[in-house]
Amino acid sequence: MSHREAVLKSIQACDSVKALKLYMETCAKCGTCAEVCPIYFGRPEQKYNPAFRSDVIRRIYKKHHTVAGKLLGPLVGAADLREEDLPAWVDHFYSCSGCRRCATYCPFGIDNSVITRKGRALLDSIGLTPKRLKDVINISLKTGNTDGAPPVALTEAVNFLQEEMQEETGQDVKIPVDQVGAEMFFVPPSGDVLVNPEAIMGIAKVLHKLGVSWTMSTNYFDGANYGLFTGDDKAMKDDNKAYVEEAKRLQCKTMLMGECGHAYRVMKFMMEKARWWGELPFTITNVMLYTAAKVRDGAIKLDKDRNPDAVTYHDPCNFGRSCGITEEPRQIMRAACRDYREMTPGGAENWCCGGGGGLSAMDEIKEFRMTVSGVKKVEQIRQTGAKFVAAPCSNCKRQIQQLTEHHRLDVKIGGLHDVVSNAIVL
Amino acid sequence: MNTYTFLLGGVLPYLALLVFVVGLAYRFYVWFKTPQPAKVTLYPWPEGSMLKNIVGEVLFFPGLFKGDRVLWTFSWVFHASLALVFVGHCRVFSGLLDRLLLGLGVSAAGITWMSSTLGGAAGIVMAATAVLLIGRRLAVQRAREISVFADYFALLLLVAIIVTGDVMRFGTHFELNETRVWAASLLAFKPVVPKNPVFLTHLALALVLVMFIPFSKILHFGGIFFTQALMHRR
Repeated sequence: MSHREAVLKSIQACDSVKALKLYMETCAKCGTCAEVCPIYFGRPEQKYNPAFRSDVIRRIYKKHHTVAGKLLGPLVGAADLREEDLPAWVDHFYSCSGCRRCATYCPFGIDNSVITRKGRALLDSIGLTPKRLKDVINISLKTGNTDGAPPVALTEAVNFLQEEMQEETGQDVKIPVDQVGAEMFFVPPSGDVLVNPEAIMGIAKVLHKLGVSWTMSTNYFDGANYGLFTGDDKAMKDDNKAYVEEAKRLQCKTMLMGECGHAYRVMKFMMEKARWWGELPFTITNVMLYTAAKVRDGAIKLDKDRNPDAVTYHDPCNFGRSCGITEEPRQIMRAACRDYREMTPGGAENWCCGGGGGLSAMDEIKEFRMTVSGVKKVEQIRQTGAKFVAAPCSNCKRQIQQLTEHHRLDVKIGGLHDVVSNAIVL
Repeated sequence: MNTYTFLLGGVLPYLALLVFVVGLAYRFYVWFKTPQPAKVTLYPWPEGSMLKNIVGEVLFFPGLFKGDRVLWTFSWVFHASLALVFVGHCRVFSGLLDRLLLGLGVSAAGITWMSSTLGGAAGIVMAATAVLLIGRRLAVQRAREISVFADYFALLLLVAIIVTGDVMRFGTHFELNETRVWAASLLAFKPVVPKNPVFLTHLALALVLVMFIPFSKILHFGGIFFTQALMHRR
């Protein structure tokens, strides 16, 4: 099949998905999406206008699948596919972070991230997915984690963290590994194992304090799932299935998802909801919901004085808008920190860090992330005056870390359970 | 009554109605039956029933209110006056509204006063906000750069219809009763078409709009129920 045929076939498939069909046919071109888009805020140019980006596909859809488009062509914004444009589509669809802020404000609730993912799926089908992301997917399918780290990397990290916690607390806080029959199977993002391990210490302390039996897996310690980002449904499901199988093998009662928004979204809101693998013998929850509940009922005591500095909380888009987890992390922040400051706006209306949808992992667009997509987040962080930003998402952490360096912000970045790790009274 | 006016006032209304009803039914049917394999979940989930929330979105555009206050003002006032004018136009075809108002104790003179004052005001406001919407589309970069001919055409057509309507109300003074005679003749399939040229122009433009709707972006008034239902489905 030629590229043209493949792309046209993929666009035709919009007719068999209600959301896509409606989004192809309902936009009133009011421009509200651009007003609330972090990319367009960073650089108000036509190519960064969400409606314009969606029109890249929409105009071809109109040309081939609507009466008005067939009859009136350019007068109604319909145009045929030009194969020579396809390379530019990579820039178009990989300059959207899929944050879904547009969907929150669009009077029709048009979710441009659905169209972005469609555009990426279409590029994937003709081999135009950015190499970096394709590599991450292949590595994850091969090794079980997006960093391609061997099982020994986990055991080494675990040993190191256990020693750290022993030294710090004087208690024998364990991070159990491969314990069949443990009540909880903890699935963090691999970034929290290899790069920012403070959150895992916080979580280990919470579970230690509560005396819960839990475990990690040496083969599966990364909930990250880049098939969500590239539109590759098969890779997304294959990657996910391995984790579900591991949870079954470990006979856990609960899969405890870590500080990774898109991992939780795929597991809870896509896999479980759509029953990809049928009935599950375990429940799925997120560690922030879990800890917040324990803080509320008093089972976990937090000492605010151990986090005296000004702190703020960044809502990862996948937690805020896609999973509705906004209040619980704030309960934890307020309980664990003396000077918690709210970002404006916060919660489900918070702005994207500019690294969502896999962009954070793409070094080739770092300039774009620093000077366009992340500009609003820098402004928001500055306004809080906070010295520490808690962001429970490896991609947000990487992006905001780089933003603080690029824009010379005197701010540290970490996870949510970093502050718990400091404040928990064992 | 020459051939053209007869075609316009005595034939085209049936055709337009047919195109409108069949076109709309077809679009709605296709939207309705198209499957949605995955849920589009977007937080915060509003409290309360789905129906109530969707009606709230359709009546008040709360998302737009938060996202773009200026556009919300133009847009909401435009749509509200459009709705008012639409209700007023129903009086051409049905005595129901008159009976309802009489039943509520409004006098016949009162109804006429409401029609000329409220209807007249709505006509003016609608024309003004439609022009503002065109102006915004031209002036605001983020709207201009995604607009094509059809986006302006829909608004210009509306302005032309509104202006001819306003001319009838405030200028040539075309009587409601004459339109009622025409409507009754249509309903009896024995069309008698008035000669008033402004009325005929107003009618011609309106019929173009009616036929244009099922194939144009104006159908967003129908699409919104479907897209919002996707968003509000739990």
